[in-house]
Formats: sequence, C-alpha cells, structure tokens
Amino acid sequence: MTLFLTALFAGLAVGSVYGLIALSYTVVFNSTAIFNVAQGDLMMAGVLVSYFCLDRWHLPQVVTLLVIIAVVMALSLTEERIAVRPFLKKPGLGLGWFIATLAFSLIIETVASNIYGQNPVVPIPGALGNGTLTIAGVHVATKFILAFVVMIVVMVALEVFYKRTWLGTAMRGVAEDREVAALRGIDALRISRLAFMIAGLVTALAAFVVAPIVSADVSVGLTYGLKGFIALAAGGFGSLRGCVIGGLLLGVAEQMFDLYVSSNYEILAGLILVLLVLAVRPSGLFGVRTVREV
Amino acid sequence: MSDIAARLGLGSRTSLRWAVPVLLIVILYIVPELAGNGSFRLGEYEEVLSFLVIAVALNIAMGYGGQYILGITAVFAVGAYAAILCAKYHPHGIGLVAMCVIGAVAGILSGLVIGLPALRVGGFYLGLVSLFAALAIPTVAQQWAFVGADTGIPLYAVSGFAPKISGQLLYIVVVSVVLLVTLFSWALVHSRVGHRFVALHTSKQLATSIGITAYRTQLLAIAISSALAGLAGGLYVYTQQFFAPGSSSVQFAILLLAGMVIGGTGTITGPLIGAGIILAINQFFTSFQQYNGIVFGVLLLAFAVFLPDGLMARITVLSERFGIRRRPQRGLAPATVTPAMTAAPPPIVNGTAASSGPATVTAAPPAAQLPSWPPVIGAGDSSPLVVENARRSFGGVKAVDDINLTVMRGQIHGLIGSNGSGKTTLLNLISRFYSLDSGQIRIGDNRLDNQPAHAVARSGIARTFQAPKLMLHETALENVVPAVELRVRCFGVESVLRLPRGIRTNRQARAEALEILQALGLGSVLAQPGNALPHGTRRLVELARAIALRPSFVLLDEPAAGLSPLELELLAEVCLNLARSGVGVLLIEHNVPMVLSIADTVTCLHQGKLLFQGTPEELRANDSVASVFLGIDEPLEASS
Repeated sequence: MTLFLTALFAGLAVGSVYGLIALSYTVVFNSTAIFNVAQGDLMMAGVLVSYFCLDRWHLPQVVTLLVIIAVVMALSLTEERIAVRPFLKKPGLGLGWFIATLAFSLIIETVASNIYGQNPVVPIPGALGNGTLTIAGVHVATKFILAFVVMIVVMVALEVFYKRTWLGTAMRGVAEDREVAALRGIDALRISRLAFMIAGLVTALAAFVVAPIVSADVSVGLTYGLKGFIALAAGGFGSLRGCVIGGLLLGVAEQMFDLYVSSNYEILAGLILVLLVLAVRPSGLFGVRTVREV
Repeated sequence: MSDIAARLGLGSRTSLRWAVPVLLIVILYIVPELAGNGSFRLGEYEEVLSFLVIAVALNIAMGYGGQYILGITAVFAVGAYAAILCAKYHPHGIGLVAMCVIGAVAGILSGLVIGLPALRVGGFYLGLVSLFAALAIPTVAQQWAFVGADTGIPLYAVSGFAPKISGQLLYIVVVSVVLLVTLFSWALVHSRVGHRFVALHTSKQLATSIGITAYRTQLLAIAISSALAGLAGGLYVYTQQFFAPGSSSVQFAILLLAGMVIGGTGTITGPLIGAGIILAINQFFTSFQQYNGIVFGVLLLAFAVFLPDGLMARITVLSERFGIRRRPQRGLAPATVTPAMTAAPPPIVNGTAASSGPATVTAAPPAAQLPSWPPVIGAGDSSPLVVENARRSFGGVKAVDDINLTVMRGQIHGLIGSNGSGKTTLLNLISRFYSLDSGQIRIGDNRLDNQPAHAVARSGIARTFQAPKLMLHETALENVVPAVELRVRCFGVESVLRLPRGIRTNRQARAEALEILQALGLGSVLAQPGNALPHGTRRLVELARAIALRPSFVLLDEPAAGLSPLELELLAEVCLNLARSGVGVLLIEHNVPMVLSIADTVTCLHQGKLLFQGTPEELRANDSVASVFLGIDEPLEASS
C-alpha cells in the first residue's frame, strides 16, 4: 500500500508537469489552431536555465524563476515570430507550421546540447527545499506538491481568464475563424503573440517545478513534449480540465506501469495509453471539439 | 524515352527532362569508383542508400498522401529488427530478398498499429503519435535482451550467416533497389491510387464528393509507405549486418524530413536529392557533427517558411525560365475559356431573363454540340431523389426545417432562397457532409441518409461546391481524371504496375476526361494547373469533374456565381443537356432569372422552411415569394 501511494504521488507530480505542457499547447492551439511542437524543448531550455542559475551561479530561487520566465517567454515569442507567424499570414493554414515548429525545436535542442555539453546530470535543489510532508502515512517530497499546486493554480487562472475576460473570449474565437474575428476588430496576429506569451509563461512555470524532479538533461525536451501531447490527446483537445486530467492520468499510469509491470519499459505506458484512447474515444475523455480538418 | 512516357499515358515531355535523372543514376553507380573504394566505405554508401528508401517512403505518405507519418523511423526500426531476428535464428535459408520482404511485412503491421488509431482524429495527430513511437521503440529495445538490448544484434557474428551478395556487386544491387523503389513511387503517383492520394491531400470533401473513401485511402498511403520503410530496414541490416537501438532515432527522423522538405516534398527526385545531401553531410563531415542539428534546423525552418515546395520546384521554375524545359502550353494566352459555341441561336432563356443581363448576349449552343451524358452510375434505376421531412439544426438555428423535395431524373430542380435560407445545408445533407436530425433522403428504396459521404457519390450523386475545390497543383485534365476512375473499375495494383487492364483504364480515364473538358470548351486549358485558372474556369472544371462521374443526379451549388455571360450560357446549356441525358439536376442559384428559364420545378426556401414549390410559372404568379424573397411588392410578370 505504501508503495502504491508513493507511486501515486510521484505519478501525480510528474503528471502535473505533463498537464502544464498540455495547457501550454492548448493556449496556443485555442488562439491559432497551431500545435506548437517545440513546446517541450522550450521547457527543456527553462530546465537548463534553472540548472545554470541554481547549480552554477547559486542565484536565489525567486531570481531563478524570473530568469526562466524571461528566457522561455523570449524564446516563445521568437518562435512565434519566425516559425509561426508566416503561416498565420497565409490564407490556408495547411500543415507547414508543423515542420517549422519541429525545426525550431531541433534548433533549440542542438544549441542547448552545445551549451550544456557533457555536463553530468545533477539534481537541482527544489524551491521549497528537499523536505517532505506526510500524507496518508507516506512521505511526499515538497517538490512534488509544488508541481501539483502550480498546475491547479494555472488551470484555474486560465479558466477564469477565458471565461470572464473579453480578451480571453477573443483568444478562443480567433482559432475558430480568423476572418470573422478580424471583422470583429480582433487582430489575429496580436492574439497569436499574446497566446505564445501566455504559453511561454505556463511552460516556464512547468520548467521551474520540473527541474528538481527530472534533473537537467537536453533529452527531456522531446520526451516531455510528446508526453504533454499524450496528456492532451487522452484528456481531450481544447479542454483545459481535459489537459489536467490527461496529464495526471498519464503520470499515474507510468508509475503504476513501473510498479506492476516493469520500470524498463515505462515509455510503453504512454504509447499504449494514447493508442487505446484514440481507438476507443478519439476526441479524448473531455474532448470539446475534434481537430479541424486540414 | 518520351515515347515511353507518352505510351504510359504521361503526355509528351522534352528529352532534357530525362537528362538530370540519367546523370544522377550514372553518378550513383560509379560513386565508389570516384571516391576511391574499400569495402568499409562501400558499407557507408549502402547505409545512406537504404536511408534514401525511407525518404522515398516518407514522401509517398507525406508529400503525396498528406499523411504526416513523421516518425517513420519507428517503422524502419521494426522492419530492421524483424529482418535481423529472422536472420539470426535462421541464418541459412535467408537472403536479401527474404529480409526485405520480412522487413516490409513487419513495416506494414507497425505502420497500421500507429496509423489505425491516429487517423481517427487525423491532421497532426499522426505526426505526433508516430514521433512518439519513434522515441519509444529504441528506448524499449535498449532494455530488451531479446533484441540485443543496448549493444544490438551483430549479424556478422552469427555463425552460418553468409551473405551471398557482397562487395561491389552488393553496392550495385542496393543502388538498383533504390532506383526501383523510386520508379515504383513514380508509377504509384501517376496511377489511380496516386490520384486518390492527391485528391484527398487537397480536400477531404473534394475526395469524398467523387467517391473516394478517405479513411481507407489514408491507410493505404500509410501502408505503402510503411512497407517501403520496412523494406529499407531489411536492406539496411543486410548491408550493415548489424542493428542497434542507436540506429534509429527521432533526430534521424527529423533529418530525413529535412532532406525531403529541402529537396522538394511531393516531387519524385526532390526527396532523394535533398536526403542524399543531408545524409551525406551528416555521415561524412563528422568533425562538424555537433552543430549539424542547428544547420539542418535552420535550413528546414527556412524552407518550410520561404520555399515550401523545395529545391526541385525552384529548379523547375528556373529551367522553364531559361528554356531548358518546355512550359506546358507555351504560347497560349492565360487560361481563358473559349466556349465551343459562340455563334448560335438565342437561348431558351427568354422569360424574365431576357431583360436582366446575361441572357441578352445572343449566343448559346445548339443542343447538338454537347454530347449526351446518360447516367452510368445507377443507370438501371430511374427512381427520383427524394428528400422527406428533412430537419437539421445548428445550436438553436433551424437551418433546414421539415423540407420535402423530389428531384426527378431528366429534370432540373431549381432551389432558390436568400442567403442563410438553408439551401447549401440541404445540399450538404443530401451529400452527407452533414447528418440529418430527422427525416429521410433516398433514391427509390436506397436510403442515403445512413450512408457515408463517399457512398452517396458512389450511388450516383455528383456535386460541385460553392467555392470551387480543385487540386491546385494538378492540371485541369488531372482534376477530372479521378472522377472517371471511380466508375472505370480496375484494381489499384493493376493501375500502379501498368498491367494490361491498368494501362487500358488509365488511358480510358484520360480520354473520357479530355472529351468532357473539350465539350465544355476547356480544350485550351487542359495542361494548365488549377491555380493558374481564373475563377469561372475553375467552376467549369469542377462541373466537368461532376459530369465525369456520369451520375444520375448532379447537385450544383451556386454554379453561376462569378461566371462571365458566355460561361453562364454554357452553364445553362450544360444543365439542360444533363437533363436531356436523363440526369436529375438540383440547381442552387441566386441568379433567379436563369433558374426560372431552365428549371422544371422550383423550390424556394426561407429561413429553413419551405416557402414555395411549383413550376416557374406558378412562382412568377406567387405573391408571397415575390415579397419575401425577391423583395418586390408585386408578382413577377412573365415578359415575352
């Protein structure tokens, strides 16, 4: 039972990170109908920044957080400018953006691996120290709890933003129909920039909370990016709650797979989950709309 | 050579077109001689060559089929592992052919495992799911002792495995395999199967409107491409005699993608050239390798944004400019329609229309000039198309509210109404792009409302679209050919491999498409790509495509919008000719004078409800229609 609970809490923590990435995807997708393949590598960049800030330069946590936010948002906006905007300006969206954002992620990854070089994987201290809390008789690391709390806060904040503010409504409307949005006086390009800013912020937070959990490594970008997609596909496209549930589901499924099947093949848990969900319920558990025909 | 091309139904091309490929082929065969040989180097060349097969495979699925199976290296890895495991446990009886076949079969299976679920959502889902598979397979293999875990399987260490082909000969065989695969991809693209891929890539609605089964066609694209990727796996392990988790990775998949995009997605030679360059750089300039990702990433990004058609398309444009390659239909004025029938007796249009513009032009074709187009699909059944109590709401809007309508064969049924009155919705309900909330749509006893959209087309209902949907990179002729191919039956494999029946039907499809286009006066634009055609011509090409199905019923969605007066007359005559041929025509139009002049029955919708149904004469006499729809206070008078 203790093993089970430990695995469950670890799963919820990692799942929260998947959820955060899925939320970033959704913010961008809701406003641009584009799926930003580089999202995982943006997070990886943030993780590396936190390694440099905390482990190399011994900066305080708050400063680290601010630096991560600045770097990730800047990267996100750069990406929007060079890899996404050219496609938003063309009439038909096509799938060219898929290749462009994938290329951008390759660039980030290679640059990062050149900067990071052969440094060994080191654990990064968590924002709340390395303490634990005892929940249901199990010690839970504070870094796990922080990840979960941050994800819930981000989700609630996004929900309020989308439902209660004019800008939020506008941001959801643009992806539905860019022309109609333009007729309503909504500048689709400004909205897209804003979406990448918000997504950058969410991704930066994900990087901040995940850094102590996964340790710094260039390869986490692609893995987490793809797992964020699985969270999204499982939870349902376009639904904020779906992202969160899907993320947690994937995180827990992986830990359970480790515990009861084999930790060597953990990655299969995600593959099986996504294939099953797509086969049984293609729109995901909470899917509010299907992906537009392209 | 061009003679062969013509006989295969390709049309004539200049001989220079063949110079580049021939040169490349020669270079390919003698590369080892040029670079100085040594069996170690040969092995490296063969490695790159087997990767080129994956590039061709990726191009079939992505460039032509529009299926983003980016993580195709997952399929390659599965094929390679299957082949090498078979060779490891049965080293004596297995050779190059067997390993390629095993790889291909394993490749198809893994491609379907990825494709079947991912295609249910479509779009970029396939891209991401396949990328995840490309990430997962090496990760799993690293831990799995059965496949050699981290160190992989060295086939050269297996006693009893003695490759029959080696050295120079093996190199020549591998080059030949690459060339054969390329030839196959060319044959595939220029077959009825390839036509379906491109149609579906362009628009799912367009494809289903000519009876193409979307899901099956997508799966076929993935299966063919997976078979080739798996074959590449077999080829790889035969030449390298080794496979390990590190032999395939996501980064490698992106590299192949970059090569394909840079060379030219959706061209036959582009991906080979692009992937060849990229792989050669990656393989042979190892000192620079740690920065390769940046260079390739920037290149890929730049091409995706600025040159999405790739280098080959650019070269084509340049060679046309310098006159190396003949531009199609050079010397012709920009595509304009020159209707075959410009000097002819006045049209039947002489009611109200006579005073309202289009019909004042004194030209319309005599009936004899258009050939008859009797229905081929559903020819035996002369039942009308019946819509009964059709209802459909979108949210709170009742777009179609209890509509009854009957389209008789051999008659023109006009459907008018203001914008938003439910005309196009009704049409989309008939062609099953939307589902009915309640009601029935049928031809005789054949219920259509519970069938998928492509089955409606196959039941003999053709349609056009309000905004013309054409394959913009294909010529006018190629836009019509797939519609003929729906009813000129033959197996796809016969068409691809140019078996006797395949050649015959390939030719027949082109001939019939040509005939219809010429009848519509489009003989001068046959070789113009869709994006070079003006709006009116696109409408006519779309009309030709609908006719090419030789349907029992044609649904036309505002076909007159944007047509010139001459084209308008042609349209009216085409409608009348269709009706004479025994086809039922449902004509949605805002051009009321035209509808009234040619329709046998007119239905008028208003806010989703039926406002009027009857003959044009009755409509003219009907006060409510005139006031509500036409915004006129007094009934229309039939002028002489």
